[in-house]
Amino acid sequence: MAGDFDPIEDGPPRLPSPEARRFRVDFGLMFIASLSLSAGIAVWITQGPGTFFHLLWGDTAMILSLLPKIFGGILLAIALAMILPRDRVLRLVGPDSGLRGLVIASGAGAVVPGGPHVTYPLAMGLMRAGADAGAGTAMVSGWVLLGLNRVLIWELSFLPGWLVALRLVLTLWVPVVVGQMARVWARRSPVPDDAHQGRQR
Amino acid sequence: MNVIIGTVLIWGAALALLRHIARVDRAKLPEVWRAARATFLVMLPRTVIGLSGASFMAALLPRGRMAALFGPERGITGILLATVVGAATPGGPMVALALSATALKDGAGTGALLAYLTSWSIISQTRTLGSELALMGPTFLIRRLILSAPVPVMIGLSSQAIDAVW
Repeated sequence: MAGDFDPIEDGPPRLPSPEARRFRVDFGLMFIASLSLSAGIAVWITQGPGTFFHLLWGDTAMILSLLPKIFGGILLAIALAMILPRDRVLRLVGPDSGLRGLVIASGAGAVVPGGPHVTYPLAMGLMRAGADAGAGTAMVSGWVLLGLNRVLIWELSFLPGWLVALRLVLTLWVPVVVGQMARVWARRSPVPDDAHQGRQR
Repeated sequence: MNVIIGTVLIWGAALALLRHIARVDRAKLPEVWRAARATFLVMLPRTVIGLSGASFMAALLPRGRMAALFGPERGITGILLATVVGAATPGGPMVALALSATALKDGAGTGALLAYLTSWSIISQTRTLGSELALMGPTFLIRRLILSAPVPVMIGLSSQAIDAVW
C-alpha cells in the first residue's frame, strides 16, 4: 500500500536534488541577467558592435572550454558527498564537531580545486549528509578567502608575494570565526533547507 | 592550458570515485548521474550569463579611476571606499586582480588594497547571486554575507597598522 514505504525517507542518504528549480528564475538570476544585458547594451553603445562581438565570442569560447570541467566538478562533488558515510560526516563536520570541525571545513574549502562548480555542490552535498550550516559557511568562506587554487594561479601572477602572504596570514582566522558565528546562529534559528524546497513544492 | 590540466584532474578524480561507487553499490550510479545533471542544469544558465555579463562590465569599468580611489593617504576612508569598490567588482579573479595590480602601481595603500581584495572575495556578485543563491539558498547566503561584512575593514585596518610599523 502506498504510504507504508517512503523511498525518500528510507532510502540511501538523500542527494542534492535541485531539479525542481532547474529553470526556476530566482531573484539572483534575474538580477544578473538584467545587469549583464544592460552592460552588453552599454558596451555596444559606447564601444561599438565590434568590441561587443569580440567580447561575446571570447566569452563563448571560454564557456565552451569550461563546460567539461564544470560538469566533471559537479559529478565529483556529488559522488564524493554520496560515498562519505553519514556517521563520519557527522563526526567530522556535524553540529557537534566543535572547533576542529570548523577548521577541517575551512581547510577543505581552501584546498578543494575547481571553483564554484565543485565547492558549492560539495558543500551542499556535505550539508545533506550531516554537516551543519556552520561547517558549510566555514567551507565556503575558506574557499573564497583562502582558496589555494586562486592564490597560486592568480594572485601570485598579479601581486607581489609579500602582499599575498600578508593577506593570507591576516585572513587565516576568518572562515573558522564566521563559521562559528553561523553555527551559533543556526542553533538559535535553523537555516531552512531552502535550497531544496523543490522537493516539497 | 590551466583549463585542460584542471579538466583532466577533475575528471580523473570523478571517474575514480564513480568506479568506487560502481564496485560498492552499483544501484547508486543512476542517482549520482541524475543529481549531477540536475545541478549542472541549474548552474549552466547562471554560468553563461554571469561570465558574459562580467566581461561586459569589466570593459565598462573605469579601472584607472577606480584604482585611484584608494590611495595610501586616505586611511580609513580609503579602506571603506575600497571595500565598496570591491563589493561592486563583478566576475572572476582576472578583473579584480588586474585592478589591484593597477592600484598598487599607482601607489595604493596596503590597507585599502587588502580591504578591496577581501571584499571582492566575499561578495563577488556574479558568483554569489548566480550560483550560491541557487544552490545554497537565500538564508545561507544572507547569513554568510552579514557575518562576513566587517571582515574587509578589519583586514584593511590591521594590514595598514602592520604596514605602518614596517
